[in-house]
Amino acid sequence: MNRAVQETDYDAFSCKVSAIAKHYLPRQVAGEEKEEGEFVQLHMAYAQGLKSVSRRAYSKVDRAVKSAQPVMNYGTYLRSIAIDEAIACFLKEHANFGADAPVQVVNLGCGSDLRMVQLLSQVPHMKWLDLDFKESVALKSRILKDNSLFQRELGPSEATETAEYSTSRYCLASCNLNDIAQVAETLKRFTTQDCPTLVLSECVLCYMKSIESRALIDYIKSFYKTGTWISYDPIGGDDSADKFGKIMQTNLRESRHLEMPTLMIFNSPEKYVQRFDTPPPSTSVVTMWQYYVQSVSSEEKMRLKALQFLDEIEELEIILSHYILAEASWL
Amino acid sequence: MKVDETIALLRQGKQISEETVYTLCLRSQELLMSEANVTQVDTPVTICGDIHGQLHDLLTLFDKSGGIENNKYVFLGDFVDRGFYSLESFLLLLCYKLRYPDRITMIRGNHETRQITKVYGFYDEIVRKYGNSNVWRYCCEVFDYLSLGAVVDGQVFCVHGGLSPNVTTVNQIRAIERKQEVPHEGAMCDLLWSDPDEVSTWSLSPRGAGFLFGRNEVDQFLHCNGLELIARAHQLVMEGYKEMFGGGLVTVWSAPNYCYRCGNVAAVLRIEDGLSREYMIFEAVQAQDDVGNAIIPTKKPQMDYFL
Repeated sequence: MNRAVQETDYDAFSCKVSAIAKHYLPRQVAGEEKEEGEFVQLHMAYAQGLKSVSRRAYSKVDRAVKSAQPVMNYGTYLRSIAIDEAIACFLKEHANFGADAPVQVVNLGCGSDLRMVQLLSQVPHMKWLDLDFKESVALKSRILKDNSLFQRELGPSEATETAEYSTSRYCLASCNLNDIAQVAETLKRFTTQDCPTLVLSECVLCYMKSIESRALIDYIKSFYKTGTWISYDPIGGDDSADKFGKIMQTNLRESRHLEMPTLMIFNSPEKYVQRFDTPPPSTSVVTMWQYYVQSVSSEEKMRLKALQFLDEIEELEIILSHYILAEASWL
Repeated sequence: MKVDETIALLRQGKQISEETVYTLCLRSQELLMSEANVTQVDTPVTICGDIHGQLHDLLTLFDKSGGIENNKYVFLGDFVDRGFYSLESFLLLLCYKLRYPDRITMIRGNHETRQITKVYGFYDEIVRKYGNSNVWRYCCEVFDYLSLGAVVDGQVFCVHGGLSPNVTTVNQIRAIERKQEVPHEGAMCDLLWSDPDEVSTWSLSPRGAGFLFGRNEVDQFLHCNGLELIARAHQLVMEGYKEMFGGGLVTVWSAPNYCYRCGNVAAVLRIEDGLSREYMIFEAVQAQDDVGNAIIPTKKPQMDYFL
């Protein structure tokens, strides 16, 4: 099961590379051409790194990229920019407390996510902790250490026994999120309790059992005095005629031995966000379809439309309605 | 090439030799070449929507609707792309066409083009199965000869997508030079790409090709051509079919659990003598091989979900 979950990172990364290859990502914003160029470079460097570290992983990614269809590229684009925007929003809010007010980000199940590279250079008062399974972290640190671009951006890693990659501001460490004692120890070692904290979980909670994700949420919420949790996950759907979630569970179980234990429990946006147990207005949730309709500008929509023929609007709506971005804050 | 033997192989999802596909495509082209852009069909007939390479569901469709041996069918296009068995589905229909030429009408869908099949899976499927793209090319040649529409008993206009601002009468469709790749704009493109919607007049389509048209356009087209109904496909409908504009237009969708993940049911529309309509709803079945083992899409090349 752990192996099946770890392998989902190749999917996430392949989707990203495909969306970049087809020019969905990065989002085009006037005046940010330099950052956009860096974004592409970083991901291409990581893909090259993956090639030299693990041929098997690379060939998976390569195959997936070649067959990625427009609906997947749309969904990847939306997932990526929705999370980016939520992070930017958190950082902006905390910048109001003074330019050098420290903040920290804890990226749970970080996989090959490379957000920290650009954000660390853009936000000098931020620290970043990447956590994942031992094998995933080992792979990521090798790729980061082997490449001069990452070395230049992140700075060289100090020798340490507790983290795979460690600088004064960035840490990549292994941690089993199902083991609360280990989570507690890791967070105590690498982060500060009273610093405003952003917790990221991108397709992480969905693979955990209800009781274990509950424990993780409870622990993290009690550990940090103030925090915001940004979580992206699938939801099963709560309409009795909606079979999407059940089919998804069956498909993933049969084809990849991958389980999503809470997909049908937290099956609506409302139920999903309730798991954080933070009252409104400190809580918000949107489906990716709502995000597409409401938050993507008409210029961006036009740009996306021109990239590939998107034949399947109805299918896109069905799929995107089953993925959400939730945000929950506590004081 | 023996058509009956090929049919038996295709029904089992077995691979057909490149040479057989070539012969089959050539003979189909010769047959389709003589067809008009808009075919005349008599009732009773069963109208079927998108298939998208879901061979096992296509077999269910024939089973539950009486079978080609005893019934007439109109297929509204989109035979290929998305599912795992685009080639087998398309070739099976071509074989039926050769075997029972007056019982099956095949209308071109927007996926029956070179450009779209390169993006949506049919091209990749062929390269995966044959190691080269020859078979894809043979099929694309056939696509160019598929008809653009059909009229049932002079009353029901069948088309893949919908109407075009450049087309007021069915006769104008008959005048189109259809034997070509689907253009990016114009009447032929619109017929394959347009969608009905709650709009007061022709509007831009979110798909990037074709138009949105509303009740006014439908009423006018029906009136102008002495028709009662437009039967079209092209859009996924969770309930299998959807009537609009007071019953003047219907969308028929025949790919249950579309892409093996959408959870929808499928439908076909049976038009009896006297034009009464009857919808037959069917669900996806677990695909089985010839000895009854479940065929699970384990080797699916593309990712279905965001993980």
